[in-house]
Amino acid sequence: MTKLLTVSPARCIGCRTCEVACAFRHLEDGVPGRSRVQVRAVGRDVWVPLLCLQCEEAACVKACPVFALWRSSTTGAIDVQPERCVRCNACVPACPFGNMSVESADKAVIKCDVCGGDPACARFCPTRALEYIEV
Amino acid sequence: MLNLDVNGRRVTVPKASTLLSAIRAAGFDVPTLCHHEAVEPYGACRLCVVEVRERGRSKTRVVTACNYPARAGLQVETESEAVLETRREVLDLLLARCPGSEVIRGLAAEAGLHRSSFPPDRNRDDCILCGLCVRICEKLGFSAIGMAGRGAHREVAAPLKEAPPDCVGCGSCARVCPTDNISLVDRDGMRSIWGRDFELVRCASCGRAYITREYQASRVEGSGLPAEHFELCDECSRARLAKTMFAHMALGPDAREEASDD
Repeated sequence: MTKLLTVSPARCIGCRTCEVACAFRHLEDGVPGRSRVQVRAVGRDVWVPLLCLQCEEAACVKACPVFALWRSSTTGAIDVQPERCVRCNACVPACPFGNMSVESADKAVIKCDVCGGDPACARFCPTRALEYIEV
Repeated sequence: MLNLDVNGRRVTVPKASTLLSAIRAAGFDVPTLCHHEAVEPYGACRLCVVEVRERGRSKTRVVTACNYPARAGLQVETESEAVLETRREVLDLLLARCPGSEVIRGLAAEAGLHRSSFPPDRNRDDCILCGLCVRICEKLGFSAIGMAGRGAHREVAAPLKEAPPDCVGCGSCARVCPTDNISLVDRDGMRSIWGRDFELVRCASCGRAYITREYQASRVEGSGLPAEHFELCDECSRARLAKTMFAHMALGPDAREEASDD
């Protein structure tokens, strides 16, 4: 049984609750800029929450020279191992979707890890624009 | 798998584990500066000292946890008097070597040391000679920097102390340095490190500079990814994804056109 974090932009109202929930869950300091989900405005009054798509053939994994990224056997998400990350930042531009970030306190890259199987963004999204569902 | 006791708590770890990983698996921690999971344990900073008693022995020893093998029946103490004493001594020396380093000062203060009992060396930089930068550079396959000199003259340097020809300017050395001693300056689309200036690649869309041309070429070759992967910055890639998702959403053809016009 695989669970996926799905995005339905049509339901997003741009409240950015997901960003705050994510920032707090990851104990950074609650700064939304350090969130792993980013809400972007496209055109007028249209919002798209963006987060890691956990690609089958992930560019971040290929770009990493030290194998600090691998797929979790429990969640299926690609996890960063901060203790292995050498902070070369190659994965940041390599991700074709811009979902790797360096905005962490310890300079290691950060990305969505679906909160280990209980994504805070989906839990707090008031309109189910983000959902963690079985597929 | 093997069992050992850390501060009286039983922990089971895989064979060939280090003491440090066993300590962390047991839910305890010891300070480290030179340790990094991407490279082999090195035992340079000496901060991870712990007291161990082998099975069937009465004597204890103080060892560095990062490069000591976890063995069955080992009894480990991470906060014993001998450990704290040794760690304080190590920090006393480090504090004399780099009195200006915030990291060292913080660790020393935690150990109750506010000034070194040795005369401080005011003319030195904050390098603690842990060699992490050198080891990471080697791991990445560049080996642009190394250790030079002996004894009191030992230092991290590029060959012949000139601008290192093998450096690609990835900046990993500066970012992993535990005392932030390596200077990396990004300004006006150029990166300066180790006395070399690198041109930074600018994002094809917004012009923001983010990776050196040399490191980009190296990662394109090493990863097998097409070069286009490194042509946009993360912000612009994200904007592109937003547009794509928007265009595919059921908003009708007008909205799709609007998205593609931007």
